[in-house]
Amino acid sequence: MIAGFLGRALRQSYSVILLLLAWEVLARFGAVPRTLLPPVSLVIARTVEALLTQDFLADMGQTLIRLGAGLALAIVLGTALGIGAAQTRTGRLVFEPLVRVLGPLPKIALFPALLLLLGFDHAPRIALVLIDAIFPIVLAAYQAACTIDEKLIWSARAAGASTRGCMWRVVLPAALPQILTGIRVAAVIACVVVFLSEMVQPGDGLGDQMIRAARAFRSIDMFVPIVVISVLGFLLDHALSLIRSRALSWAP
Amino acid sequence: MSKSLAERLGPLLVIIGLFLVWQAVGMMIGEDYFPTPIALIPAMRTLLSDGDIWGDLGHSLWRLAMGFLLAIVTAAPLGIVAGRSKAVRDFITPLLSLFYPIPKAALIPIFMLWFGAGDLSKILIIYLSVTLPIVYHGQQGARSVDDKLIWSAQAMGTGRLGLLLRVVLPAALPELLLGVRVALVIGLIVMITSEMIVRQNGLGYYLFNSMDMAQYKLTYLVIVIVGALGLVLDFGFELIRQRLTFWSPRQREPMVTEA
Repeated sequence: MIAGFLGRALRQSYSVILLLLAWEVLARFGAVPRTLLPPVSLVIARTVEALLTQDFLADMGQTLIRLGAGLALAIVLGTALGIGAAQTRTGRLVFEPLVRVLGPLPKIALFPALLLLLGFDHAPRIALVLIDAIFPIVLAAYQAACTIDEKLIWSARAAGASTRGCMWRVVLPAALPQILTGIRVAAVIACVVVFLSEMVQPGDGLGDQMIRAARAFRSIDMFVPIVVISVLGFLLDHALSLIRSRALSWAP
Repeated sequence: MSKSLAERLGPLLVIIGLFLVWQAVGMMIGEDYFPTPIALIPAMRTLLSDGDIWGDLGHSLWRLAMGFLLAIVTAAPLGIVAGRSKAVRDFITPLLSLFYPIPKAALIPIFMLWFGAGDLSKILIIYLSVTLPIVYHGQQGARSVDDKLIWSAQAMGTGRLGLLLRVVLPAALPELLLGVRVALVIGLIVMITSEMIVRQNGLGYYLFNSMDMAQYKLTYLVIVIVGALGLVLDFGFELIRQRLTFWSPRQREPMVTEA
């Protein structure tokens, strides 16, 4: 059974293994200079090493604070705004063109303005994560709330539920699966955006680690922060997917 | 009719509304670092006649176009083939999910180490980031082609290449173009971000350079220009997409899943 599982895992990801092997071999045997491309095994070893140092962990903590705060705000506000807008005709009339216009704007361009308005510490980065990560959530919540089966609401109302009770106990649970899908997308965006904000305006955080390594031409150390933030995004994505399938197994 | 009118006017009203809110907030704050849109108008004249901005805009757009063309030529065929062949799909799907959570614009220092400080590294970063949505959506589109269409074409003696070009590609086009539209926005984001990180030239450079020199009005003007670029590219492409695929049922709004 374990062999079967391993075999399946191997078949499902052999291209990734091939890529990593090619990277390792090319770098090990001098086909490309090590200063340009350090072997993947060294990158992994250095990543583990870095995760044990105080300095790296402190930067990672800064990044995680911004990521967590921005994402949490995006989840709460996105869900509330999306479901709220879907309830009334005026709400829908305003929401759709608003998202149509704000969606394709490159939010990162607002970062200089956020720096000027909110200072140079946590606040502008949290705000940037919020405005980038809120879109998939608010869209998912809105679409879910718009397509909810009205019979559910009628039955709840007929059974005596208040408008508010109906929101909490009917609309929100019915929209939850789609909202969680939106949160999955948002989590990966949040990881990317917080990292970029720290590279664009360095100070501290994982993105700053990357910039510092680049300025000193420490090529291994340039890979380490990218590996850490990518693994973080990967894990968040998969954890949310697991929650989606376990906790909401009743949803299609 | 009234619905389509509302649909057309809606975005315009939103844009006007946003400028009005900005004006009101700007007047309330009344500080140099948050100018109102009206205060930007004189600055706009100097910016446009100055000429610096045109060079930066040109640099940015050139790199975006190159990265994008490269992606269309390579990623669209790859996506279509992956949609029809399980072996290709099994090969690229793990790679796609490996690259998905990586912040692509953050790779710019590494790419500059490899490909030099010139345009090439920035074009390749844009190329890399727009490849993902094009391959993904191309594959989705090609996978969901109705089997009956393929059987009929085969029964009439269409070869493998003919099948791909004359049946699968047109049938997958609506979904493929949806991917291209997502890619367009992502490409713009990555373009700006990589220029903000490297700060040599381009709109992203101009944004931070003007901020560092306390030319805040210029900073806000460039933000407006970048936003307008995003809107023009997105709405313009959507118009083309609807023309090209007028026969297909309306599609859902796509989600921009990358940055």
